[in-house]
Amino acid sequence: MSYQEIDAKMLSKMFLAGAKCLESKKEYINELNVFPVPDGDTGTNMTMTIMSAAKEVTALGEAPSMEALCKAISSGSLRGARGNSGVILSQLFRGLTKVIKTYDKLNVAIITESCEKAVETAYKAVMKPKEGTILTVAKGISEKAAELSAAGVTDLAEFVGQVLEHGRYVLSQTPELLPVLKQAGVVDSGGQGLIEVLSGAYDALCGKEVSYTVSDNAPSDEKKTSAGQSEADIKFGYCTEFIILLNKNFNIKTEMDFKAYLESIGDSIVCVCDGEVVKVHVHTNDPGLAIQKGLKFGQLTNMKIDNMRLEHEEKLFKEAQKAEEQKAKEVKKPKEPPKKVGFIAISAGEGLSEIFKSIGVDHVIEGGQTMNPSTADILDAVEMVNAENVFVLPNNKNIILAARQAAELTTDKNLLVIPTKTIPQGITAVINYMDGSSVDENEEVMISEIGKVKTGQITYAVRDTVIDDKEIKKDDYMGVGDDGILANGKELTEVVLETVKAMIDPDSELISIYYGSDVSAQDAEAMRNEVAKANPNLDIELQNGGQPIYYYLISVE
Amino acid sequence: MSKIAIVTDSNSGITKEEADRLGIFVIPMPFMIDDEHFYEGVNLTQEEFYEKQTGGAVISTSQPSPEEVCRLWDQILLNYDEILHLPMSSGLSGACQTAMMLAQDAPYEGKVFVVNNQRISVTLHQSLLDAKILIGKGFDAKTIREKLEEDKFSCTIYIMLDTLEYLKKGGRITPAAAAIGTLLKIKPILQIQGEKLDAFSKARTLSQGKSVMLGALKNDIETRFGGVVPAPGKVWLKIAHTANEEAALQLKEEMLEIFPGYEVEIAPLPLSIACHVGPGALGVGCCQKTFA
Repeated sequence: MSYQEIDAKMLSKMFLAGAKCLESKKEYINELNVFPVPDGDTGTNMTMTIMSAAKEVTALGEAPSMEALCKAISSGSLRGARGNSGVILSQLFRGLTKVIKTYDKLNVAIITESCEKAVETAYKAVMKPKEGTILTVAKGISEKAAELSAAGVTDLAEFVGQVLEHGRYVLSQTPELLPVLKQAGVVDSGGQGLIEVLSGAYDALCGKEVSYTVSDNAPSDEKKTSAGQSEADIKFGYCTEFIILLNKNFNIKTEMDFKAYLESIGDSIVCVCDGEVVKVHVHTNDPGLAIQKGLKFGQLTNMKIDNMRLEHEEKLFKEAQKAEEQKAKEVKKPKEPPKKVGFIAISAGEGLSEIFKSIGVDHVIEGGQTMNPSTADILDAVEMVNAENVFVLPNNKNIILAARQAAELTTDKNLLVIPTKTIPQGITAVINYMDGSSVDENEEVMISEIGKVKTGQITYAVRDTVIDDKEIKKDDYMGVGDDGILANGKELTEVVLETVKAMIDPDSELISIYYGSDVSAQDAEAMRNEVAKANPNLDIELQNGGQPIYYYLISVE
Repeated sequence: MSKIAIVTDSNSGITKEEADRLGIFVIPMPFMIDDEHFYEGVNLTQEEFYEKQTGGAVISTSQPSPEEVCRLWDQILLNYDEILHLPMSSGLSGACQTAMMLAQDAPYEGKVFVVNNQRISVTLHQSLLDAKILIGKGFDAKTIREKLEEDKFSCTIYIMLDTLEYLKKGGRITPAAAAIGTLLKIKPILQIQGEKLDAFSKARTLSQGKSVMLGALKNDIETRFGGVVPAPGKVWLKIAHTANEEAALQLKEEMLEIFPGYEVEIAPLPLSIACHVGPGALGVGCCQKTFA
């Protein structure tokens, strides 16, 4: 098929296909993380960002106006933005739609212009843009577009195809620009995500059959669902997933045939082949058929079948209940005059939430390492804090951008983001708040004080890697400091002691240890004694943080 | 010229020797410790007090009995024409209120002048010295009282507590101060300003706390008392502590680095405050040299 122009209907299809494609590669992208710590899920963050937009796009129906489509893409991704890569992706869309919303049909020249705007907007969103990341890939795409446009290319399929190819090339070069990528032997995960989006869009443009609907339960860990869908809307009742461990050749032809078969029995199809395994996801009324077909290619594993109609009822019930509770809360809370200053902290684990509340934080958003809250989550929290000025403590470097985005979207309150990268920094910031001083003075003091606390986080490696010239094996314990890995090894106690040792200096007075949900109180007490024995002149404080993933969070000040 | 006597209570932190030397009369503050009566500086030393406090004794403070106050006044008035009475801050104790009530009636009316300038510890001590200066300049007691009350905000005190334990037991702090930090080990920094003892800031380590207090002090001197740090001359600096003399001496050295050439006085905090803040507290303050 050959196009000179794209209308809103096609663009909508392409966007949804791009979102779908990204979603299907989510896990793969998650694995591309440089740091072998079990956090910072780029694939999940980008998927949730784009799915938020995809939902708004889906709601517009099959033939939206270009302006409405652009608004849905821009505002949906902005509000759904999670993690740094998610925020950058949302800014790319924002720049892109700024240009195209003024046209009804898009040609090569318009798309080229919109790409330039997208890159410009995204670079502006990042305080210190780094090359070798999603930004570089986006820039490469934009440059290629300009080149093709200047060369007089007008066929859109050819245009997008070449741009995509060049994007893949730039992605493959990211390890040359960022040494950490090279050492870890991966390409940039955010860049990979962007390529997946473009690749899905290209498939749609070429008329490759993909499902364009956004399934309600995907991504699986999405918390909010679009309300209003009735049970009758669910055409295929069983969400069926499995992985085929191939023992037969599975080439492009068999893949196409298999997908075609799945389409004959259901929708929301994902079928990804990674050489030795095929991941299958389908909504169907007869899961047995899909499984039988899969069995022809090899053994099955990770099988999961959910009845979506029943789940849906349950969800509706829960939503109704929640709405009631919300209403009750609103009735109970008479509109008091707002206080001058409020605090929002982002933290994972009950113990840490309690600690934040005990030092005066109004609202704690559960999130952090594995679950970066979105801009919308932060905005919801801001809504709940009845204060003129609200300080937001992201407590994770991957949440700072989303918080800043929330600050830009807030009009009725003064939102101030203190760029805390760790939980101990967040605690320090709140402790240094002074009631009598002005908001500006407090902001200044808090920002200067968070630089004075050192953080060490004890976790495990999710895979073998080399980083900071340290060879790390999968399942090793690691102590991650403010500027890199401080210690690693097989013995937890040794890793903790070595991490602490690397953190203290002659002026250190206090070591705070927050133990996570995977550590028992006795083990934590024993660890405190070990740390005390090694540091007899320092005060040591042990707290139950209850955080996931990190066995211990340690601060030295 | 009338002959004026100065009376204060043991919350001024004035030592017996100094009081004798300056001719100042001191009323000891009464304490109930495990149902036993004690008088600060009479049958209760600082050491004994902290020993009992850290041992978990139930300690309550009280104000001097009107009878004792009247007896002292009566005795003084045999030899003096007027009395300037400087009790601890009316914001922290009823002692001032009681004294003012007593002074309104015969035979004290027009003779006893109660100074309600809301000071305590090192700043109250400074008021005694200021009163001496003003007496020397020939003012009568009524005028001196007016001058001291006008000058009541020309001073400031910050105290860092080592523990929240005793603050929670006590009742003379605002709810804001009582609410801070219930889980984490936090050293609250309180400010005594006018009549209230209130939360000012918080710290997790000694050096953080000292830096906050010295910063606040510098700010007060420059913005409120017309001083220009590091040039000395406008204020007297104060350090107060509870059973923490070593840290106080160390703090003096650090203080002099920021405020070179300033006069610094170190004194233990009176037990009425120690009762609420517990041992290990460290404070800084200053008084403007209004009358010197």
